[in-house]
Order: sequence, then C-alpha cells, then structure tokens
Amino acid sequence: MTRVQTELLQGTLDMLIMKALALGEMHGLGISRRIEQITKGTFQVKPGSLFPALHRMEEEGWLSSSWGESENNRRAKYYQLTKAGRRQLETETQRWGRISLAIERALEA
Amino acid sequence: MWLTNAVRNFWRKRRTDAELDEEVRGYAEMLAEEKIRSGVNARQAHREAKMELGGVEQVKEQTREVRAGHFLETLWQDLRYGARMLRKNPGFTIVAVLTLALGIGANTAIFSMVDWLMLRPLPVKDAGQITYLIAQLKDGGYENGFSYPNFEDIRKQSASVFSDLAGVRPFQMDGLQADGKNLQIWTNYVTGDFFEMLGIKPALGRFILPSEGAVAGADPVLVLSYSYWQAHFDGNPNVVGKRVSINGHPVTIIGVAPKGFNGALAILDTQGYLPFGMAAVDLVAKDDFLTNRSDQEDLIIIARLKPGMTVADAQPVLNVVAQRMAEQFPKIDNWQSMRAARLTAAPPGANSDPAQPLTIIAGLFLFLAGLVMLLACVNVANLLLIRGSARGREMAVRAALGAGRRRLARQLLTESLLLALLGCAGGIVLGIAGGRLLSSLNLGSAIPITLNFSFNWRVFAYALGAALLTGIVVGFVPALRASRSNLNDVLHEGGRTSTVGRQRLRSTLVVAQVAGSLMLLIVAGLFVRSLQMVQHTDLGFDPSHVLNMSMDPHEAGYDAAKSERFFHDLLERLRALPGIQSASIAGSVPMGLYSYGSSLKIAGYEPAKGQKAPSAGYNSVTPEYFTTMHIPLLQGRDFLDSDSANSQHVAIINEAMAKEYWAGQDPVGRQFKVDEDPKHPLEIVGVVKNSVTGSISDTIGPFFYQAFAQKFMTPATLQLRTTAAPDSMTRGILGIIRTAEPAMPVFDVQTMTKALDTLDGLMLYQLGAGLAASLGMLGLLLAIVGVYGVVSYAASQRTHEIGIRIALGAQRAQILKMIFRQGLLIVGLGLAVGIFATLGISRLVASLLVGVAGTDPLTYAAVSILLTIVALTACYIPARRAMRVDPMTALRYE
Repeated sequence: MTRVQTELLQGTLDMLIMKALALGEMHGLGISRRIEQITKGTFQVKPGSLFPALHRMEEEGWLSSSWGESENNRRAKYYQLTKAGRRQLETETQRWGRISLAIERALEA
Repeated sequence: MWLTNAVRNFWRKRRTDAELDEEVRGYAEMLAEEKIRSGVNARQAHREAKMELGGVEQVKEQTREVRAGHFLETLWQDLRYGARMLRKNPGFTIVAVLTLALGIGANTAIFSMVDWLMLRPLPVKDAGQITYLIAQLKDGGYENGFSYPNFEDIRKQSASVFSDLAGVRPFQMDGLQADGKNLQIWTNYVTGDFFEMLGIKPALGRFILPSEGAVAGADPVLVLSYSYWQAHFDGNPNVVGKRVSINGHPVTIIGVAPKGFNGALAILDTQGYLPFGMAAVDLVAKDDFLTNRSDQEDLIIIARLKPGMTVADAQPVLNVVAQRMAEQFPKIDNWQSMRAARLTAAPPGANSDPAQPLTIIAGLFLFLAGLVMLLACVNVANLLLIRGSARGREMAVRAALGAGRRRLARQLLTESLLLALLGCAGGIVLGIAGGRLLSSLNLGSAIPITLNFSFNWRVFAYALGAALLTGIVVGFVPALRASRSNLNDVLHEGGRTSTVGRQRLRSTLVVAQVAGSLMLLIVAGLFVRSLQMVQHTDLGFDPSHVLNMSMDPHEAGYDAAKSERFFHDLLERLRALPGIQSASIAGSVPMGLYSYGSSLKIAGYEPAKGQKAPSAGYNSVTPEYFTTMHIPLLQGRDFLDSDSANSQHVAIINEAMAKEYWAGQDPVGRQFKVDEDPKHPLEIVGVVKNSVTGSISDTIGPFFYQAFAQKFMTPATLQLRTTAAPDSMTRGILGIIRTAEPAMPVFDVQTMTKALDTLDGLMLYQLGAGLAASLGMLGLLLAIVGVYGVVSYAASQRTHEIGIRIALGAQRAQILKMIFRQGLLIVGLGLAVGIFATLGISRLVASLLVGVAGTDPLTYAAVSILLTIVALTACYIPARRAMRVDPMTALRYE
C-alpha cells in the first residue's frame, strides 16, 4: 500500500468516526457497528485500527470520552464529538466533497 | 498540545493503561454478547470475538503507539531494560565495554595528538584566518624563510587579500642578564605588526608596536612569555619597565604575553619577543639584514586573511606576487609559486612542503587507530551475535506478547549503544591518560618544546562520534537479524536453531579481523625494523665516553677574539686533567641543534647540466676533534695550532666530498671557495672517514671541517673523551668553566650516547615504533579473542553433530582436523586479505621508514607466521575440547 492511499484511508476513517459520533455519544463497538450501518457494510472497522484512531483523535482534542453504562449494564468508555471535532468534521466533509467531485470528473473525462 | 498530552500520558500511565485494557476487553465481551444474542453458543462466541479482535495485547500495543510521548516512554523502557540486561551478564558487559574502551581510548589518544598538531587553532583572534607563506621553488623544493626586503615587497603587493602581515625570525637562543643572574631565553625577533595582527592583549604592560622594529638596533624592548615571567621573575608585576640585557645589550621589559600563548609557532615555547631590528645585537646576524636579499632568508611570514577570505581566494594574488618577484630577482627568488597555509601548532618544516610528512603521519596513525577500533567493533559485534542467538527465545516471546519488530530491533540497538557509551566513557579515561603520557614525554631536546595533547571538545566530539558509530555498526546486524527471525521457527525449534547463516557472517567478521590485525602488525613490524636499521647505522664516530657541553660566549658579551682565547685556555686546562683523553671544540655536534651548509666554488669542477651548484655541510673544529670523536683520518693531517686566522685557511673533507668533487684525484692540496667567504679560499689538508653529522637518518653527503681559529662559531660545544664514565666528570668541569667566566652560559650538558636518544637522534623512530607496536599488540589481542570466540562457539554449536560422528566411528583426529580446518580457512583468508590490503598502503608507510622497504618480505613473512601460530593456538583449545566430546553426553544434550 502506498503512502497516499494510507493517508486517504486514515482521513476517511477519522471522518467516518466523527460522522458516526455526530448523532451522539457512543462506545467503541457502537461506533464500529454504526459505521458498518451508514456505509451499508462497505467499511468494517477492525479494533486494531479503531482504538488507535479513537485515542489519537482524543489527544487531538476532537473527541472527549467518559465512562458510562452500556445497554447490558457493562462499564464502557463513551466517546463524543467536541466543538473542535465538529469543526474538523465540517472541514473534512468539505475536503472530501472536493476530492470525490474531482475524482468523479476525472474518471468521467 | 503534544507536550501536555505526553506529560499526562507519562504521569497517568498506570491508569491510562488499565483503562485501555478495560476498554479493549469490554469491546471483546460486547462483541461476544452480540454473537450470543444472535444465537451462537457461548464458547464459540468468545472464540470468534477473540479472532475478530486479533489479540487484546496487540490492539493495546497498537493503540499505545499512537499516544503522545510514546517514543520517549519506550526509549526510557529500552534503556532501563538494556541496563538490566547488561547488569545481568556482567562477564559479557565487562568484556564488551573493555574492548570498546581500548578501541576508543587508542583513537582518542591518537586523535588528541592530531588535533593538537593540525586542528587546534592558535589562541589568537580569528585563528582560522591566520596563515603562513610557503614559496614553491622552480627546482621542486619548498621554502618558508624570506628576507626582510622580500617581506616588505610581499606585504605591499598582497594588501588586497591580507589585512596584516608580520615577519617572525624564529627561535633564537639568547642570554638574558637580569638581577645579576645569567638566564637563557628562546626568543622570536618579530616585525612591529606581529602582536597587532594576532589580536591578543598583553597580560601586563604593552606589546611591541607597529612603529618599532624597522631600524637596526633601535627600540631595545623585550616582551616576556607568561610562563617565563612566572618561572624567572616570580610573576612580579614590577617587571614592566625593568632594565635587563640581552647578550650584553641593555633592553627594557615592556610587557608580558597572555597565558597560554606560546608564540605563533606553538610547538616551540617562545619565551621572549624582541623587535626585528634588534636582531642587530645578535652576532650571527649580518649588519645589512634589513636590506640584504640573498643571505638572510630566515623570516617566516605570517599573514592574516581579510575577513571572509579563504586560502583559495588568496591564491591568484600570491601567484602574481611570486611571478613578479621571480622575474625581478631571478638569481635569488627562484620561485615557481607561493601559497598560504593555515598555521597550527605544527612548525613549518624548513625547506620542505610542511604539510606533507605530518599529514602522512597523522593519517597513518589515525588509520591504524581506526583499524584497532574496527577490530574492537568486530569483536563486540560477534559477542552480540552470539548473544543474539542465545536470546532468540526471549525475542520470540516478546514478539508473541505484542512487541513489534521495529521495537525489538530498536531495543537491541539501544543496548549496543548503551554498551558503546559505556565503552566511550572508559575510552575517554584511557585516552586522556594516553594523551598525558604522550605529553609528558621528555624529548631530550634543548629547545623548549611544548606538547599539549590535552582533552577538549573536539576530542570529546570525536570520541563520542566514534562511540555512537560503533554502537550502531555493532548493533545493526544483530538487531536486523533479531527482527527478521521467524517467530514460529524459534519457538518450535527451541535452542537448536540452524546457525549456518550466522556462522558464515561471524566467520567473515573474523576474516576481517585477522586481516586488520595483520595490517597493524606489519606496519608495527616495519616501524620496529626501521628503528633497528637506524640503531645499527654506522655513525662513523664512537659515541661512548664522549661528553658534550655547549657554551655561548656571545650571550656573555664576548666577541670572536675573546671567545677563542677563552676556549683555548679552557682546553689547555682540561687536557691537563686526569681521566680526560682529549678535548676539543666544535661549532656543531651530531644530533645537535645547529648545522651549517654552504654552496661552493670549486676550480675545475663543472656541475653536469641540470645539477645543482656544488655544496656541502660544514663544521668548525679545533685540533684533536677527530681524536675525540674517533673519526679516522684517511689522508693528510689533522688541524694544528699553527692554523690561525692569519695563516692559509685550511679544510679537512670527508670521503663523500672527495668522491663527489675530486673523483679519481688526490684532493689534498687542492682548493675551493665557500660562497659566504670568497676572500679566504680553503686548502684541503686532509680527508677523514664519513660520519653522521646531523640528524641520524640523514644520508651522509659532502662535508668539510674548518679550523675553529679560522672560522669562529657561536654557540660552540666542548667535547671531551674520557677514560671514566663521562657523567662522573660533569661537575668538576662545570666548576672549571664557572671559575674561568661566571657569566658563561653552559647548556645541553649530555653524553653523546644520550644525545642519540633525543629528537634528532632515535627518539622519533622509537616513538613511532612504540606507538605502532602498541597499536599492533592491541590488534593482536583483539584478533586472538575474536578467533578463539568464533571457533569455540562454532565447536560448541556442533557438539551434537560431533557426538554423532564419534558414535558412528569417527576418529578423534578427524574431529580435530575438522575444527582446525575451519580455523585455518578463516586465518588463511584473513592473511591473504590482510597482505593485499597492507601492500596497498605500503608506499605511504614507506615514506616514513628508513632503510626498510614498505614491502619488506621478512616483516611480512614473520608477522604472518606469528599471527598464524597465535590464531591456530586460539583454534586448538576449542578443537581439543571438541575432540574430547563424550558421544553419550552430546547425544543426550537437549
């Protein structure tokens, strides 16, 4: 895998995570299921990518976390978008829109 | 942001880790519950969840890796872990650290020498801009002595590149009379700009001014060096303004140079500075030294490049100057070109390209020290490789626990760097000690030479750089191997991994080691042989039972006539003493400070085309000189008391001169003229055998002796042949001299045998041989350890195989042969590589040798045989151990 692709994918994962969290706070498995759902199963996020991404984004200040109870009364770490995270999601979305439009055009040409 | 995160991660590490663990496990649990809800049975669900997760520890490690401060944290872990490993294996650690310390120490010591000679700037303002000028002559030689008019011309014509130029008449020994004491002082006569050009401040009083020094005999002032002021004037500040005399001429001390400033030619400890014009008080200087272009070419020109200018920038201007001067004075300045060279402690060599020999010596010894370093590295790399295979299991377990390959490799590199840094610390200590030892060498020279191989940041940076490089080089291969090894193989195969690849690498390393130590030993051997050759040089005179004492009547204010009377009376008195066979005076002595030479005019001798005009070295001696020195007179007569200033001037020549200029003729009775004194043609009255007259390594060329009464020289040396041990007579004779003239300075009191060990005698050869031999011994030691280590490790790895062979009926001798063959192959390959490599540098080495070729077959053969015997002995011990393997034990093993 070349570097460009990795970067693109990493950016994509971040965006998907933030998109998933845009509706409200969620724990790890919830996020990964939500992403599966909104991408109609195209993206399946493995824990080996999910957790590093969550922790990195938390350190960036885009996410915050708190411990809470899961549906089955299990202690779970819940993530939510911060203000900075919402801004980041917006920029990412715009950027992504530009890129996909450009690529679409390029492929049609 | 990064910093606060990193700090938080560091302080709350335990909590963060616990939370991470809970989070990841929780994820797995939830995943399993999800599966159970969808109808999978509990066991199956947990299994699937774990597979989907891909290992709790791996996920945790991957997550930890993205955290801020992760690198520093793991580095700290690696360091702690590395330190623990080193502590746990003290034997390994001590051997490795000691090996590296020896390597780094040898390098540090050699480098501090090179640093001082070639790199360390003078303690003056912008030392990098200070250069000195060298003229390249049309006949290929070099010259750095200029006449005063030359200096003035060059200064005027090079103003576009040099901001200041100063001339230094280097190193004159003068008598200083102060407070009723007679002291000796080594002085420089400098032009007025000297101190201003250097940009230094006096410790006391003032320096010589630019307006001083351009008129003969004017400006009788003296600046003392700091150490001389401390030693002879007790550091008394009242010394400024003090009236003293130099060689009987009154001068005033005006200032003291700053501490640590030894003069522009820092290897020689200049003790005082006088204005150049004061050279007139020196009897040796000619009266017209400020205007004479041809006879007084002894001024070294020191030039400061303009700010921002480099030596290369100055070159075009210097070329023009040299050409112009050569056209203007073709007879005197036969210059091809001129160049500026950076001035460091190393003295500008007279009449040779000053950069060359030192660069070769420095380069060679740095190279040899580098070889020692390489050998040390190879040894430690081998140790690490062996340990690496022993630690294969540990690495596999750590990989199984989630450590990434990069992380494992880094761990090993950290450990080897830690080793290297420990070795560096030890090496610096050894290096400083070695430097001290070299600095404290007594050069046995009358000239105050300062050796200062002290430690400084450049040396430290060199040692540290060497250590870091070593750490990386040494740790690189084992780290690469550890990170590449297949987890499964190691865990399954247990201790008995296939080691063929590793073994081959280790063997290659040992081949390099044998080759390297062979090079070291051959070079050492060549130096030792060279020393032997020099020691067995036929001196042509007999040094035993000869006592030398130099005196300088001109420092006591004597003129030529008074000096001669003084010497004459002294000789009479001494010859009457019991225990003295003969006594004589000579202007120069072999291995001494002074030597003289001149071009000659010989009637009937025409030099062949392209050959230089006839010239010869000379000395001036009293009757009985040849008896004292035991130089046989082959023809004619000795000097007589009747050879006086007013009679026909006579000369005794050596065989070489007779052969060169009067081949096939009888030289006795013939005449020749010395260029310096054409009014007094010399008539040859005798021929003596060739003998060494200057430095011991000089080839003996044409040489003649004049009668002391007809050619006065000062300083001069009293030489006595004694029947008893010459040392025992010293005090009595000194007493006699002091009674005759209390103000007469006596110096260089030493036996001729002792003089042979000084700088002009054997010292440099002894030093070179000693240094090379120490490095060679170090190399040999390291090679033995290397060969022994690899062969014995290989044998121990093959214990199992050997056991089977013996069980199947192999003879013990066959086993011995098998192990030996491997050792022999390594040693043989190493020898071959080493010999070729040494031949490659032999020409360079040869330029430093006397009487031995760089390819001396005897040295090559002897060293190869020595190394083979030593290496095979190192093989024999493990081979014998292998031979004694008990098949049952070996087979049960593992």
